[in-house]
Amino acid sequence: MTRLARWWMEPVPSGRVAVFRVLVYLYVPLDVFLFTPWVAQHGGLPTALYQPLTIGRLLHLPTPTHTVVEVVRWLLVATALVAASGRAPRLSGTVVFALYLEWMVVAMSYGKVEHDRFAFLVALAVLPTVGATRFGDRSRSASAGWALRMVQVAVVLTYFLAAWAKIRFGGWDWPTGATLARAIVRRGTVLSTWMLDYPTLLVAGQFLMIGAELCSPLLLLARSDRARCAAVGLLLGFHVSVFAGITIIFLPHVVAIMSLLPSERLRLPGRAERSVQPARDARRDALA
Amino acid sequence: MARGSKTSEPPDGLGRFARVWRLTATGLGLALVFTGTVWGQDSDFPFGPFRMYSTRDSPDAPVVTTQIEATTVSGRHLTISGPQTGLRRAEVEGQLGRFVADPALLGSLAVAYQRHHPDDPLVRIEIVRHDYPLRQGQATGVERTTVLASWSRP
Repeated sequence: MTRLARWWMEPVPSGRVAVFRVLVYLYVPLDVFLFTPWVAQHGGLPTALYQPLTIGRLLHLPTPTHTVVEVVRWLLVATALVAASGRAPRLSGTVVFALYLEWMVVAMSYGKVEHDRFAFLVALAVLPTVGATRFGDRSRSASAGWALRMVQVAVVLTYFLAAWAKIRFGGWDWPTGATLARAIVRRGTVLSTWMLDYPTLLVAGQFLMIGAELCSPLLLLARSDRARCAAVGLLLGFHVSVFAGITIIFLPHVVAIMSLLPSERLRLPGRAERSVQPARDARRDALA
Repeated sequence: MARGSKTSEPPDGLGRFARVWRLTATGLGLALVFTGTVWGQDSDFPFGPFRMYSTRDSPDAPVVTTQIEATTVSGRHLTISGPQTGLRRAEVEGQLGRFVADPALLGSLAVAYQRHHPDDPLVRIEIVRHDYPLRQGQATGVERTTVLASWSRP
Protein backbone atom coordinates (compact mmCIF):
# COMPACT_ATOMS: atom_id res chain seq x y z
CA MET A 1 0.00 0.00 0.00
CA THR A 2 2.76 2.40 0.96
CA ARG A 3 4.65 1.81 -2.25
CA LEU A 4 1.50 2.05 -4.32
CA ALA A 5 0.50 5.34 -2.68
CA ARG A 6 4.00 6.69 -3.29
CA TRP A 7 3.77 5.70 -6.96
CA TRP A 8 0.53 7.66 -7.37
CA MET A 9 2.00 10.76 -5.74
CA GLU A 10 5.57 10.60 -6.94
CA PRO A 11 6.82 14.22 -6.93
CA VAL A 12 7.56 15.72 -10.35
CA PRO A 13 8.86 19.15 -11.41
CA SER A 14 5.91 21.52 -10.99
CA GLY A 15 6.88 23.40 -14.19
CA ARG A 16 5.48 20.38 -16.01
CA VAL A 17 1.98 21.24 -14.81
CA ALA A 18 2.48 24.89 -15.80
CA VAL A 19 2.99 23.91 -19.46
CA PHE A 20 0.40 21.13 -19.49
CA ARG A 21 -2.16 23.51 -18.03
CA VAL A 22 -1.69 26.00 -20.87
CA LEU A 23 -2.04 23.23 -23.49
CA VAL A 24 -5.22 21.84 -21.92
CA TYR A 25 -6.98 25.16 -21.37
CA LEU A 26 -6.01 26.61 -24.76
CA TYR A 27 -7.33 23.45 -26.40
CA VAL A 28 -10.82 24.19 -25.02
CA PRO A 29 -11.64 27.18 -27.31
CA LEU A 30 -10.05 25.35 -30.26
CA ASP A 31 -12.28 22.36 -29.53
CA VAL A 32 -15.40 24.52 -29.26
CA PHE A 33 -14.87 26.63 -32.37
CA LEU A 34 -12.60 24.66 -34.68
CA PHE A 35 -12.53 20.90 -34.10
CA THR A 36 -16.07 20.08 -32.93
CA PRO A 37 -18.32 22.94 -34.10
CA TRP A 38 -21.19 20.40 -34.33
CA VAL A 39 -21.61 20.51 -30.54
CA ALA A 40 -22.91 24.09 -30.63
CA GLN A 41 -25.28 23.09 -33.45
CA HIS A 42 -27.13 20.80 -31.05
CA GLY A 43 -28.65 23.95 -29.58
CA GLY A 44 -30.62 24.37 -32.82
CA LEU A 45 -32.13 20.88 -32.75
CA PRO A 46 -35.72 20.25 -31.63
CA THR A 47 -35.67 18.87 -28.08
CA ALA A 48 -37.41 15.67 -29.29
CA LEU A 49 -34.00 14.53 -30.57
CA TYR A 50 -32.36 14.88 -27.11
CA GLN A 51 -31.55 11.47 -25.59
CA PRO A 52 -30.20 12.26 -22.10
CA LEU A 53 -27.16 10.40 -20.76
CA THR A 54 -27.19 8.77 -17.32
CA ILE A 55 -25.25 11.75 -15.91
CA GLY A 56 -27.76 14.22 -17.38
CA ARG A 57 -30.64 12.38 -15.71
CA LEU A 58 -28.87 11.89 -12.36
CA LEU A 59 -27.85 15.55 -12.10
CA HIS A 60 -31.13 16.85 -13.61
CA LEU A 61 -29.18 18.83 -16.20
CA PRO A 62 -31.31 21.11 -18.38
CA THR A 63 -32.43 20.02 -21.86
CA PRO A 64 -30.05 21.81 -24.25
CA THR A 65 -31.92 24.69 -25.84
CA HIS A 66 -30.34 27.39 -27.98
CA THR A 67 -29.97 29.66 -24.90
CA VAL A 68 -28.48 26.95 -22.67
CA VAL A 69 -25.93 25.99 -25.32
CA GLU A 70 -24.87 29.58 -26.08
CA VAL A 71 -24.51 30.53 -22.39
CA VAL A 72 -22.43 27.43 -21.65
CA ARG A 73 -20.30 27.96 -24.77
CA TRP A 74 -19.28 31.54 -24.06
CA LEU A 75 -18.79 31.05 -20.31
CA LEU A 76 -16.66 27.98 -21.06
CA VAL A 77 -14.43 29.78 -23.55
CA ALA A 78 -14.02 32.85 -21.30
CA THR A 79 -13.11 30.84 -18.18
CA ALA A 80 -10.79 28.55 -20.17
CA LEU A 81 -8.82 31.62 -21.31
CA VAL A 82 -8.59 32.85 -17.70
CA ALA A 83 -7.42 29.40 -16.60
CA ALA A 84 -4.86 29.25 -19.45
CA SER A 85 -3.37 32.51 -18.19
CA GLY A 86 -2.71 30.77 -14.87
CA ARG A 87 -4.88 33.19 -12.82
CA ALA A 88 -6.70 31.67 -9.81
CA PRO A 89 -5.93 28.17 -11.08
CA ARG A 90 -8.04 26.33 -8.51
CA LEU A 91 -11.19 28.41 -9.00
CA SER A 92 -10.99 28.97 -12.76
CA GLY A 93 -9.98 25.34 -13.32
CA THR A 94 -12.93 24.01 -11.33
CA VAL A 95 -15.37 26.19 -13.27
CA VAL A 96 -13.87 25.10 -16.60
CA PHE A 97 -14.21 21.44 -15.58
CA ALA A 98 -17.90 21.85 -14.65
CA LEU A 99 -18.72 23.78 -17.83
CA TYR A 100 -16.81 21.41 -20.10
CA LEU A 101 -18.59 18.43 -18.53
CA GLU A 102 -21.92 20.12 -19.31
CA TRP A 103 -20.60 20.86 -22.83
CA MET A 104 -19.92 17.14 -23.23
CA VAL A 105 -23.48 16.34 -22.12
CA VAL A 106 -24.69 18.64 -24.91
CA ALA A 107 -22.31 16.86 -27.32
CA MET A 108 -23.04 13.24 -26.48
CA SER A 109 -26.81 13.21 -25.84
CA TYR A 110 -27.99 12.89 -29.45
CA GLY A 111 -27.30 9.26 -30.32
CA LYS A 112 -23.49 9.14 -30.58
CA VAL A 113 -20.90 9.12 -27.81
CA GLU A 114 -17.26 9.92 -28.59
CA HIS A 115 -14.50 8.02 -26.79
CA ASP A 116 -11.66 10.46 -27.33
CA ARG A 117 -11.96 12.65 -24.25
CA PHE A 118 -11.88 10.54 -21.10
CA ALA A 119 -8.25 11.45 -20.34
CA PHE A 120 -8.91 15.10 -21.25
CA LEU A 121 -11.82 15.22 -18.79
CA VAL A 122 -9.59 13.66 -16.13
CA ALA A 123 -7.01 16.38 -16.87
CA LEU A 124 -9.64 19.10 -16.39
CA ALA A 125 -10.77 17.43 -13.15
CA VAL A 126 -7.32 17.13 -11.56
CA LEU A 127 -5.54 20.30 -12.75
CA PRO A 128 -7.38 22.54 -10.23
CA THR A 129 -5.95 20.43 -7.39
CA VAL A 130 -2.49 21.82 -8.17
CA GLY A 131 -1.97 25.39 -7.01
CA ALA A 132 -0.04 28.12 -8.81
CA THR A 133 2.88 26.91 -10.92
CA ARG A 134 5.70 28.62 -12.84
CA PHE A 135 7.17 27.77 -16.23
CA GLY A 136 10.51 26.01 -16.01
CA ASP A 137 10.16 25.37 -12.27
CA ARG A 138 12.08 22.18 -11.51
CA SER A 139 11.22 21.97 -7.82
CA ARG A 140 9.34 18.73 -7.25
CA SER A 141 5.78 18.63 -6.05
CA ALA A 142 3.66 15.64 -5.06
CA SER A 143 0.40 17.39 -5.96
CA ALA A 144 1.73 17.94 -9.51
CA GLY A 145 2.87 14.33 -9.56
CA TRP A 146 -0.55 12.98 -8.61
CA ALA A 147 -2.37 15.16 -11.16
CA LEU A 148 -0.11 14.13 -14.05
CA ARG A 149 -0.17 10.48 -12.97
CA MET A 150 -3.97 10.49 -13.06
CA VAL A 151 -3.93 11.83 -16.64
CA GLN A 152 -1.29 9.31 -17.73
CA VAL A 153 -3.28 6.43 -16.25
CA ALA A 154 -6.44 7.74 -17.97
CA VAL A 155 -4.55 7.81 -21.30
CA VAL A 156 -3.40 4.22 -20.81
CA LEU A 157 -6.86 3.06 -19.70
CA THR A 158 -8.36 4.55 -22.89
CA TYR A 159 -6.29 2.00 -24.85
CA PHE A 160 -6.40 -0.89 -22.41
CA LEU A 161 -10.15 -0.72 -21.78
CA ALA A 162 -10.75 -0.33 -25.54
CA ALA A 163 -9.23 -3.81 -25.95
CA TRP A 164 -11.54 -5.02 -23.18
CA ALA A 165 -14.56 -3.51 -24.99
CA LYS A 166 -13.52 -5.24 -28.23
CA ILE A 167 -13.55 -8.59 -26.42
CA ARG A 168 -16.83 -7.75 -24.64
CA PHE A 169 -18.76 -6.53 -27.69
CA GLY A 170 -16.88 -8.10 -30.58
CA GLY A 171 -15.90 -11.39 -28.97
CA TRP A 172 -12.55 -13.17 -28.80
CA ASP A 173 -12.57 -13.43 -32.60
CA TRP A 174 -12.73 -9.63 -33.04
CA PRO A 175 -9.27 -9.53 -34.70
CA THR A 176 -10.36 -11.88 -37.51
CA GLY A 177 -13.39 -9.74 -38.39
CA ALA A 178 -13.74 -7.01 -41.00
CA THR A 179 -13.82 -4.01 -38.67
CA LEU A 180 -10.99 -2.17 -40.43
CA ALA A 181 -12.43 -3.02 -43.86
CA ARG A 182 -15.74 -1.53 -42.75
CA ALA A 183 -14.03 1.58 -41.39
CA ILE A 184 -12.13 2.08 -44.65
CA VAL A 185 -15.23 1.54 -46.82
CA ARG A 186 -17.04 4.15 -44.74
CA ARG A 187 -14.27 6.73 -44.28
CA GLY A 188 -11.22 5.61 -46.21
CA THR A 189 -8.67 7.94 -47.87
CA VAL A 190 -6.34 7.48 -50.85
CA LEU A 191 -3.77 6.32 -48.32
CA SER A 192 -5.94 3.43 -47.10
CA THR A 193 -8.48 2.30 -49.73
CA TRP A 194 -5.86 0.15 -51.51
CA MET A 195 -5.74 -2.03 -48.39
CA LEU A 196 -9.26 -3.28 -49.11
CA ASP A 197 -7.68 -5.57 -51.73
CA TYR A 198 -5.49 -7.18 -49.02
CA PRO A 199 -7.84 -8.47 -46.29
CA THR A 200 -5.01 -10.44 -44.65
CA LEU A 201 -3.13 -7.19 -44.08
CA LEU A 202 -6.19 -5.68 -42.39
CA VAL A 203 -6.60 -8.74 -40.15
CA ALA A 204 -2.91 -8.48 -39.21
CA GLY A 205 -3.55 -4.80 -38.39
CA GLN A 206 -6.40 -5.81 -36.11
CA PHE A 207 -4.21 -8.32 -34.22
CA LEU A 208 -1.53 -5.64 -33.86
CA MET A 209 -4.07 -3.10 -32.63
CA ILE A 210 -5.65 -5.21 -29.88
CA GLY A 211 -2.21 -6.56 -28.88
CA ALA A 212 -0.80 -3.05 -28.54
CA GLU A 213 -3.84 -1.90 -26.57
CA LEU A 214 -3.46 -4.79 -24.12
CA CYS A 215 0.24 -3.92 -23.68
CA SER A 216 -0.43 -0.18 -23.20
CA PRO A 217 0.05 -0.26 -19.37
CA LEU A 218 3.76 -0.80 -20.12
CA LEU A 219 3.84 2.91 -21.04
CA LEU A 220 3.59 3.68 -17.33
CA LEU A 221 6.97 2.03 -16.84
CA ALA A 222 8.69 4.70 -18.96
CA ARG A 223 10.64 6.53 -16.27
CA SER A 224 13.47 8.39 -17.95
CA ASP A 225 12.72 11.58 -19.86
CA ARG A 226 13.97 9.94 -23.03
CA ALA A 227 11.66 6.93 -22.65
CA ARG A 228 8.67 9.20 -22.04
CA CYS A 229 9.44 11.27 -25.13
CA ALA A 230 9.71 8.02 -27.12
CA ALA A 231 6.31 6.93 -25.74
CA VAL A 232 4.76 10.23 -26.82
CA GLY A 233 6.32 9.84 -30.29
CA LEU A 234 4.95 6.30 -30.59
CA LEU A 235 1.42 7.33 -29.59
CA LEU A 236 1.42 10.39 -31.85
CA GLY A 237 2.61 8.20 -34.73
CA PHE A 238 -0.33 5.85 -34.14
CA HIS A 239 -2.91 8.64 -34.03
CA VAL A 240 -1.52 10.39 -37.12
CA SER A 241 -1.58 7.07 -39.07
CA VAL A 242 -5.19 6.46 -38.07
CA PHE A 243 -6.02 9.98 -39.23
CA ALA A 244 -4.29 9.38 -42.57
CA GLY A 245 -6.27 6.16 -43.05
CA ILE A 246 -9.79 6.94 -41.84
CA THR A 247 -9.75 10.71 -41.00
CA ILE A 248 -10.45 10.17 -37.31
CA ILE A 249 -8.15 11.74 -34.73
CA PHE A 250 -8.55 11.68 -30.97
CA LEU A 251 -7.42 15.29 -30.48
CA PRO A 252 -8.36 15.87 -26.82
CA HIS A 253 -6.74 12.52 -26.04
CA VAL A 254 -3.60 13.66 -27.89
CA VAL A 255 -3.50 16.76 -25.65
CA ALA A 256 -3.72 14.46 -22.60
CA ILE A 257 -0.79 12.39 -23.94
CA MET A 258 1.40 15.50 -23.47
CA SER A 259 1.18 14.88 -19.70
CA LEU A 260 4.06 12.42 -20.26
CA LEU A 261 6.46 15.09 -21.52
CA PRO A 262 9.23 16.55 -19.31
CA SER A 263 8.00 19.98 -20.38
CA GLU A 264 9.68 21.84 -17.50
CA ARG A 265 12.76 21.73 -19.73
CA LEU A 266 11.07 23.95 -22.31
CA ARG A 267 12.81 27.29 -22.63
CA LEU A 268 10.31 30.06 -23.18
CA PRO A 269 11.88 33.40 -24.07
CA GLY A 270 10.96 36.06 -21.52
CA ARG A 271 9.34 33.58 -19.15
CA ALA A 272 12.57 31.76 -18.39
CA GLU A 273 14.23 34.93 -17.05
CA ARG A 274 11.50 35.58 -14.53
CA SER A 275 11.33 32.01 -13.27
CA VAL A 276 15.07 32.00 -12.57
CA GLN A 277 14.92 35.27 -10.63
CA PRO A 278 13.55 34.02 -7.27
CA ALA A 279 16.20 31.30 -7.04
CA ARG A 280 18.92 33.88 -7.66
CA ASP A 281 17.41 36.18 -5.01
CA ALA A 282 17.31 33.32 -2.52
CA ARG A 283 20.98 32.57 -3.14
CA ARG A 284 21.89 36.23 -2.62
CA ASP A 285 19.90 36.24 0.63
CA ALA A 286 21.71 33.13 1.81
CA LEU A 287 25.09 34.74 1.12
CA ALA A 288 24.20 37.99 2.89
CA MET B 1 3.19 6.66 3.19
CA ALA B 2 3.60 5.31 6.76
CA ARG B 3 6.77 7.31 7.24
CA GLY B 4 5.01 10.51 6.15
CA SER B 5 2.11 10.07 8.56
CA LYS B 6 4.44 10.15 11.61
CA THR B 7 5.51 13.71 10.95
CA SER B 8 3.25 16.69 10.36
CA GLU B 9 4.94 17.68 7.09
CA PRO B 10 6.14 14.72 4.99
CA PRO B 11 9.13 15.24 2.70
CA ASP B 12 6.98 15.16 -0.47
CA GLY B 13 4.91 18.15 0.59
CA LEU B 14 1.45 16.57 0.94
CA GLY B 15 -0.18 16.25 4.35
CA ARG B 16 -2.14 13.24 5.53
CA PHE B 17 -5.56 14.60 4.51
CA ALA B 18 -4.26 15.61 1.06
CA ARG B 19 -2.92 12.10 0.50
CA VAL B 20 -6.03 10.32 1.77
CA TRP B 21 -8.50 12.22 -0.41
CA ARG B 22 -6.28 11.83 -3.47
CA LEU B 23 -6.08 8.07 -3.00
CA THR B 24 -9.84 7.89 -2.33
CA ALA B 25 -10.59 9.84 -5.53
CA THR B 26 -8.19 7.59 -7.46
CA GLY B 27 -9.89 4.44 -6.17
CA LEU B 28 -13.37 5.80 -6.86
CA GLY B 29 -12.45 6.86 -10.40
CA LEU B 30 -10.88 3.48 -11.18
CA ALA B 31 -13.89 1.64 -9.76
CA LEU B 32 -16.29 3.71 -11.90
CA VAL B 33 -14.36 3.30 -15.15
CA PHE B 34 -13.85 -0.45 -14.68
CA THR B 35 -17.52 -0.94 -13.74
CA GLY B 36 -18.54 1.03 -16.84
CA THR B 37 -16.28 -1.05 -19.06
CA VAL B 38 -17.61 -4.36 -17.74
CA TRP B 39 -21.33 -3.58 -17.32
CA GLY B 40 -21.95 -0.06 -18.66
CA GLN B 41 -23.27 1.30 -21.95
CA ASP B 42 -22.40 4.34 -24.08
CA SER B 43 -25.06 6.34 -22.23
CA ASP B 44 -22.97 6.05 -19.04
CA PHE B 45 -20.47 8.58 -20.47
CA PRO B 46 -17.83 9.47 -19.27
CA PHE B 47 -17.57 6.09 -17.53
CA GLY B 48 -19.06 3.94 -20.29
CA PRO B 49 -17.11 1.28 -22.19
CA PHE B 50 -14.45 2.47 -24.68
CA ARG B 51 -16.20 0.86 -27.61
CA MET B 52 -14.51 2.57 -30.55
CA TYR B 53 -14.61 0.01 -33.37
CA SER B 54 -15.37 -2.69 -30.80
CA THR B 55 -18.02 -4.62 -32.74
CA ARG B 56 -16.87 -7.44 -34.94
CA ASP B 57 -17.95 -7.21 -38.56
CA SER B 58 -18.17 -10.54 -40.32
CA PRO B 59 -15.84 -10.66 -43.36
CA ASP B 60 -18.80 -11.86 -45.45
CA ALA B 61 -21.49 -9.48 -44.20
CA PRO B 62 -22.12 -6.23 -46.10
CA VAL B 63 -20.75 -2.88 -44.88
CA VAL B 64 -23.77 -0.73 -44.07
CA THR B 65 -23.99 3.05 -44.15
CA THR B 66 -27.03 5.28 -43.91
CA GLN B 67 -27.82 8.52 -45.69
CA ILE B 68 -30.54 11.07 -45.23
CA GLU B 69 -32.00 11.91 -48.61
CA ALA B 70 -34.42 14.79 -48.98
CA THR B 71 -36.52 16.84 -51.39
CA THR B 72 -37.08 20.57 -50.97
CA VAL B 73 -40.13 22.72 -51.75
CA SER B 74 -38.49 23.85 -55.00
CA GLY B 75 -38.02 20.20 -56.04
CA ARG B 76 -34.29 19.87 -55.38
CA HIS B 77 -33.02 16.40 -54.32
CA LEU B 78 -30.15 16.37 -51.87
CA THR B 79 -28.26 14.25 -49.39
CA ILE B 80 -28.38 15.91 -45.98
CA SER B 81 -25.07 16.13 -44.10
CA GLY B 82 -24.55 16.81 -40.40
CA PRO B 83 -23.86 20.57 -40.63
CA GLN B 84 -27.11 21.16 -42.57
CA THR B 85 -29.31 20.04 -39.68
CA GLY B 86 -27.03 19.82 -36.65
CA LEU B 87 -27.47 16.03 -36.34
CA ARG B 88 -24.47 14.05 -37.64
CA ARG B 89 -24.67 10.81 -39.61
CA ALA B 90 -23.50 8.74 -36.64
CA GLU B 91 -26.17 10.40 -34.49
CA VAL B 92 -28.88 9.57 -37.02
CA GLU B 93 -27.60 5.96 -36.96
CA GLY B 94 -27.54 6.02 -33.14
CA GLN B 95 -31.23 7.03 -33.07
CA LEU B 96 -32.18 4.90 -36.08
CA GLY B 97 -34.50 2.68 -34.04
CA ARG B 98 -36.50 5.76 -32.98
CA PHE B 99 -36.77 7.09 -36.54
CA VAL B 100 -37.91 3.71 -37.91
CA ALA B 101 -40.46 3.22 -35.10
CA ASP B 102 -41.78 6.78 -35.41
CA PRO B 103 -41.00 8.35 -38.83
CA ALA B 104 -42.82 11.52 -37.71
CA LEU B 105 -39.64 12.25 -35.72
CA LEU B 106 -38.01 13.02 -39.09
CA GLY B 107 -40.23 16.12 -39.03
CA SER B 108 -37.87 17.39 -36.26
CA LEU B 109 -34.99 17.10 -38.71
CA ALA B 110 -36.97 19.12 -41.24
CA VAL B 111 -37.48 21.81 -38.58
CA ALA B 112 -33.74 21.79 -37.80
CA TYR B 113 -32.90 22.05 -41.52
CA GLN B 114 -35.29 24.96 -41.94
CA ARG B 115 -33.49 26.90 -39.17
CA HIS B 116 -30.34 26.74 -41.28
CA HIS B 117 -32.05 27.13 -44.70
CA PRO B 118 -35.26 29.15 -44.29
CA ASP B 119 -35.61 29.82 -48.07
CA ASP B 120 -36.07 26.26 -49.34
CA PRO B 121 -37.47 23.95 -46.62
CA LEU B 122 -37.76 20.18 -46.94
CA VAL B 123 -41.01 18.46 -47.93
CA ARG B 124 -39.75 14.88 -47.90
CA ILE B 125 -37.03 13.01 -45.98
CA GLU B 126 -35.91 9.40 -46.34
CA ILE B 127 -33.34 7.46 -44.34
CA VAL B 128 -31.72 5.19 -46.88
CA ARG B 129 -29.45 2.26 -46.04
CA HIS B 130 -26.65 1.41 -48.46
CA ASP B 131 -25.23 -2.13 -48.31
CA TYR B 132 -21.81 -2.83 -49.80
CA PRO B 133 -21.31 -6.62 -49.78
CA LEU B 134 -17.86 -8.00 -48.88
CA ARG B 135 -16.44 -11.38 -49.79
CA GLN B 136 -13.86 -12.61 -47.26
CA GLY B 137 -13.20 -9.05 -46.20
CA GLN B 138 -12.73 -7.81 -49.75
CA ALA B 139 -14.94 -5.18 -51.39
CA THR B 140 -17.08 -6.56 -54.25
CA GLY B 141 -18.07 -3.24 -55.82
CA VAL B 142 -21.79 -4.09 -55.54
CA GLU B 143 -24.22 -1.68 -53.82
CA ARG B 144 -27.81 -2.21 -52.60
CA THR B 145 -30.15 0.44 -51.15
CA THR B 146 -33.15 0.13 -48.82
CA VAL B 147 -35.45 2.89 -47.53
CA LEU B 148 -35.69 2.50 -43.74
CA ALA B 149 -37.99 5.40 -42.85
CA SER B 150 -39.68 8.16 -44.77
CA TRP B 151 -41.58 11.31 -43.90
CA SER B 152 -43.55 13.76 -46.05
CA ARG B 153 -44.65 17.23 -44.97
CA PRO B 154 -48.34 16.80 -44.03
